[in-house]
Amino acid sequence: MSLRVENITKRFGAQEALRGVTIEAREGEFVVLLGPSGCGKSTLLRIIAGLEEPDEGTVNLRGRDITRAQPHHRDVAMVFQGYALYPHMTVAQNIGFPLRVRRRPTSEISAEVERIGARLGLSHLLRNLPKQLSGGERQRVALARAIIRRPQAFLMDEPLSNLDSRLRIDMRAELKHLQHELAVVTLYVTHDQVEAMTLASRIAILRDGLLQQYDTPSEVYRRPANLFVAGFVGSPSMNLLPGVVESGVFCRAGLSFGLTSDELRAIGARREITLGFRPEDVEFSATGNPGWTAARVWVTEDLGNETLIRLALDDVHVTLRAPAGTRADFDSLAWFRIRPEQLHWFDTHTTEAIRVSPQEH
Amino acid sequence: MKTSLKYTAAFLALAAALAPIYWLVTISLKREIDQFASPPLWFSFTPTLRHYSAIFSHDAFGRYFLNSVIVSTCSTLIALALGLPAAYGLVRFPWPHDWARGIGFWILSNRMLPPIVTIIPLFLMLRELRLLNSLSGLVLVDVALNLPFVVWMMRGFIEDLPKEIEEAALLDGESRIGVLLRIVLPLVRPGLAATAVFCLIVAWNEFLFALILSQTESAMTVPVGIASHVTQYEIQWGAMSAAGVVAMLPVLIFAAAAQRYFVRGLSLGALKG
Repeated sequence: MSLRVENITKRFGAQEALRGVTIEAREGEFVVLLGPSGCGKSTLLRIIAGLEEPDEGTVNLRGRDITRAQPHHRDVAMVFQGYALYPHMTVAQNIGFPLRVRRRPTSEISAEVERIGARLGLSHLLRNLPKQLSGGERQRVALARAIIRRPQAFLMDEPLSNLDSRLRIDMRAELKHLQHELAVVTLYVTHDQVEAMTLASRIAILRDGLLQQYDTPSEVYRRPANLFVAGFVGSPSMNLLPGVVESGVFCRAGLSFGLTSDELRAIGARREITLGFRPEDVEFSATGNPGWTAARVWVTEDLGNETLIRLALDDVHVTLRAPAGTRADFDSLAWFRIRPEQLHWFDTHTTEAIRVSPQEH
Repeated sequence: MKTSLKYTAAFLALAAALAPIYWLVTISLKREIDQFASPPLWFSFTPTLRHYSAIFSHDAFGRYFLNSVIVSTCSTLIALALGLPAAYGLVRFPWPHDWARGIGFWILSNRMLPPIVTIIPLFLMLRELRLLNSLSGLVLVDVALNLPFVVWMMRGFIEDLPKEIEEAALLDGESRIGVLLRIVLPLVRPGLAATAVFCLIVAWNEFLFALILSQTESAMTVPVGIASHVTQYEIQWGAMSAAGVVAMLPVLIFAAAAQRYFVRGLSLGALKG
């Protein structure tokens, strides 16, 4: 195990920023810490960096307990949201700084700066000051400074959030490839679930200082652990309809259908449950079909390659993905059907997922 | 109309500010007989440099000048060297409760006491340390005088620096001292320069402590030397004015040299990575 944080708790005054969080990452793994602002993800990163001390728990890097080590004794590199370049140093001096601190020979430093600068397309900017660079260029300098000394771990705190959206997508791909090349364990903080899905080998989802789920992007997407994860991951997000189970039937205003024996067994004695389904797991029809559910079209969004349709079903909206060019007028009557094999069930009270497994024979 | 009013106001302010200086400079160049002629001789007098040569030949003004240079330079350097780390610690280290604010206020409160209140204790302390009539004693006192100001000023400048830059340096492998010397120091240099000029001027002009704590020629500073021209029997206006003009020069030079830092120091908050 390359990096392991165990049972981390951190309090700021009376507020608990992190509560017993345990995450481990393998050598070369790209772990994304995902959650809304204030969920504790940046605090966790800062604890690993040594910029904050945890109240409880340990941080372990390649078998070494670094919980109380000073930041400069940890051998981790960090990329900050605001880049945090040294404004009084040129690009070359910024990139070379970690090596200069380590008193490497000048010739070696300049050779390394040249090499890393060329790798990140900064060769023509080495003599400039940070304030003369664009946001994307500053981002590259910050990356170059982080990778030049081959640390044991990379920490990245929303490094792409200050870039405009086009550049962000390009840098995202570049970052992922670079991380693959370097094969150094990386912890990456973001509140953007698309970024998390695209970059991560595993995603740790945090909310109010508690780890909600820690798994691969596809598992998090296909088998969310609770209502929060289900709603947070995926764009547009999963449809979540609370309802009740009565004599083997799930019902709510405007919608009811019978449950399978597997589902009923998993649901057990629970009465109030929530149905979840992804927009792509809904079929749409402008004409009525037997067994389909009727709803009013609330809005349609044509994205060119597909159409997102929001239907008003009683007091909630149901979002679905339809093929490009699907037409539906405002307020017209439409029908939908949820693919029964793609349903998610949650306990409305505990918010935990109810796992349905087929009957064993 | 508006413009002419503005210029008139500016002219009056300037005249009020420059009149004493004009008076000082002309008296320093006049013979005794012309100094208090009535009506005053505004321009039509025979200039003489006698008073200037007198203060350097008869008096020990050169010695006083050197003393002043030594005392103000050393006290300023020491106050900066002590005050910058103190301010940094107050701003960046985790203090329990409200201690950082409390300590900061305590430091500032040292400037609130009228200096005359401290003069007797200081006299007694320096006597015990055998530092009366010595330059090192004066340096110590001026450091104490300027240190609160340095801490308070530098605190503001350091607070304006983005914390992330320092954290980046820590993670790049720099120690706290290294961060202070190689990251913070270069970035607060304009603020430091403005603070240094202020300290130099305060120490250069300091009169009360120097008067009480140094009575011998070897440790007397310029302000005390100038005042010594007021004697029991006469006031040597010419020599006093000449000394005053010479004493004014370094302050003017500091201020001119540091002018751009003053402006940059005031706008330091605009610094961004």
